[in-house]
Amino acid sequence: MRRLALVLLAVAAPLGAQAGGGSGGARARLTGRVPEVAIAPVDSVVRAAEADDLPTEPLVQKALEGAAKHAAPGQIVEAVAAHADQLRQARTLLSRAGGPPPTAAEITSVAAVMVRGLPPPLAERIVTALPNEPPGPALHAVADLAGHGFAEDAAVDLIVAAARVGLRGLRLLDVATAAVHELQRGATHDSALATVRRALPDVPSPPKPSPAQVNRARRPRPGA
Amino acid sequence: MSEFADPSDADVIARILAGESDAFAILMRRHEAGLLRFATRMLGSADAAADAVAEGLIRAYRHLGSLDDPGRFRTWVYRIVANRCKSHLGRRSAQGVSLDEAAPVPDPHDGEAELERAEQMTLVERALATLSPEKREAFVLKHVEGMSYEEMAAMTGERIPTLKMRVHRAREALLEAMKEHR
Amino acid sequence: MNELDPRIHQVLDGELPLESLPPELRATVLRLERAAQLLRAGEAPASVAGRVLAELRRPRTATRGRRVLRWLTERHAITIALRPIWSLALTAVLAAVVLVPTHGTPPLLGAQEGIAQFVGHFPGARSVDVVGPFTAWRSGVIPLRDDDHDGVWSAVVVLPTGAHEYMFVVDGERWVADPLAGRYVSDGFGRQNALLIVRPVGR
Repeated sequence: MRRLALVLLAVAAPLGAQAGGGSGGARARLTGRVPEVAIAPVDSVVRAAEADDLPTEPLVQKALEGAAKHAAPGQIVEAVAAHADQLRQARTLLSRAGGPPPTAAEITSVAAVMVRGLPPPLAERIVTALPNEPPGPALHAVADLAGHGFAEDAAVDLIVAAARVGLRGLRLLDVATAAVHELQRGATHDSALATVRRALPDVPSPPKPSPAQVNRARRPRPGA
Repeated sequence: MSEFADPSDADVIARILAGESDAFAILMRRHEAGLLRFATRMLGSADAAADAVAEGLIRAYRHLGSLDDPGRFRTWVYRIVANRCKSHLGRRSAQGVSLDEAAPVPDPHDGEAELERAEQMTLVERALATLSPEKREAFVLKHVEGMSYEEMAAMTGERIPTLKMRVHRAREALLEAMKEHR
Repeated sequence: MNELDPRIHQVLDGELPLESLPPELRATVLRLERAAQLLRAGEAPASVAGRVLAELRRPRTATRGRRVLRWLTERHAITIALRPIWSLALTAVLAAVVLVPTHGTPPLLGAQEGIAQFVGHFPGARSVDVVGPFTAWRSGVIPLRDDDHDGVWSAVVVLPTGAHEYMFVVDGERWVADPLAGRYVSDGFGRQNALLIVRPVGR
């Protein structure tokens, strides 16, 4: 309880006293789903992010997720605040790489990869090396490789090499998948990377969904 | 990031034999793509390949306890699927069905490079289909699945010199067939 | 058949470097390597994992019954000779069954949308849902189905392209990270979410 109180203070204090009136969007979506005691501090984090030109949807979703998983109110607030920090870090990284101001989608995408544990300097290296690439797929590809024990620098080198021979966007994920498959076939990490590099740009793509699958697909009805 | 490192095949098999049957999904996820690719190249048909691989995986699961060296799961399951492919081919030749499948229709939005690549792919696939099953298997295992001669020997039970000869003849036959089909 | 220069085989077997060959022989090595590359890169058939799981969960019947079951589940070419008027009627019935979708109108997919297939093995479960930001983390929005009661639950869903975190919720209370996902992310609440990357259907 004391911990929760400290978290609430830490979040609410720098923002000063806010009038209790509804903020609209976020608060309305949280009401009835997130524990009441967590709504105000989460809303504070969301407003601060909004004022800072950061995307807020991932923060609202994180709060809804915590509530659905019956996390303690303090945990929910901490998770939302931590995610706001990740969005901030993602935006800084993208801005440092140069180019036009990053979009909300790009910030969200980079933050999602950093949640996977990709170290920021590594993420920055990829984003800088591939300025004309949407960052998400390239970063996820490197995260896939690092998750299977490939040396981080070598993973970045492979993905950058793939982009330079014309593989774009989601095809970079196929490059990572090809290297992981080599590993699972018994190759060492080094020889897996070398094999895939030699094969570029010919790496297998995943099968497309069949017409039967497309016909069966349902659309989720819009949620909260 | 190392917290996401995968367990070895032998570790997964130990878990399955200890009663965690769902862990077989891990082995399937790991080896399925290679097995499907191998079977597709052997049978020239995605549907037949799916049948052969599904049958092979079911058989592998049911006989997992008989695998002497769980570290060799990969070569063992390839052998099982190779045998399923031989059965399919045997049934097919008895029925007199052609190995040729219709070439995939290129997407009109594809660029010139993509169209050329699709043509090259068709040429190679047709050439591979003309090889005897034995030579086809040898070429696919060595050059598509990337097996060493030692792995191929463990898988097929043949001696390495025999396998080398088979792969050499397969290469020659493939080149010949590619020239004829051009 | 023309036998190749043995040095070509030695290069392809990794026993000699490519540079040791004269140019006219190197071209042959490259032609074979290119053929192998193309064969490796071809489009893979769809996964058979769901089908295998379903079969493994099917109770094994007595020998004779197993043979009958196998006959029933294997594909057979069945020729039925029908009088023309009956064959037209049968075609119409079959067409109606195939073309009328069972769950409403099939979705038209936008350029930034793709298909996600969720599959999980939960024998004995009464319900399985997939939850994620695309359901606002609510259960019941995307229920999986197990129509043949073999413990294999599945659903096919239209989602925007990109990365999506998700979990399965079994019987409304047990949260499970999809063991077939291959990618996992810490959720900030002491658990891991599975992560799925949806591709646009065209590519």
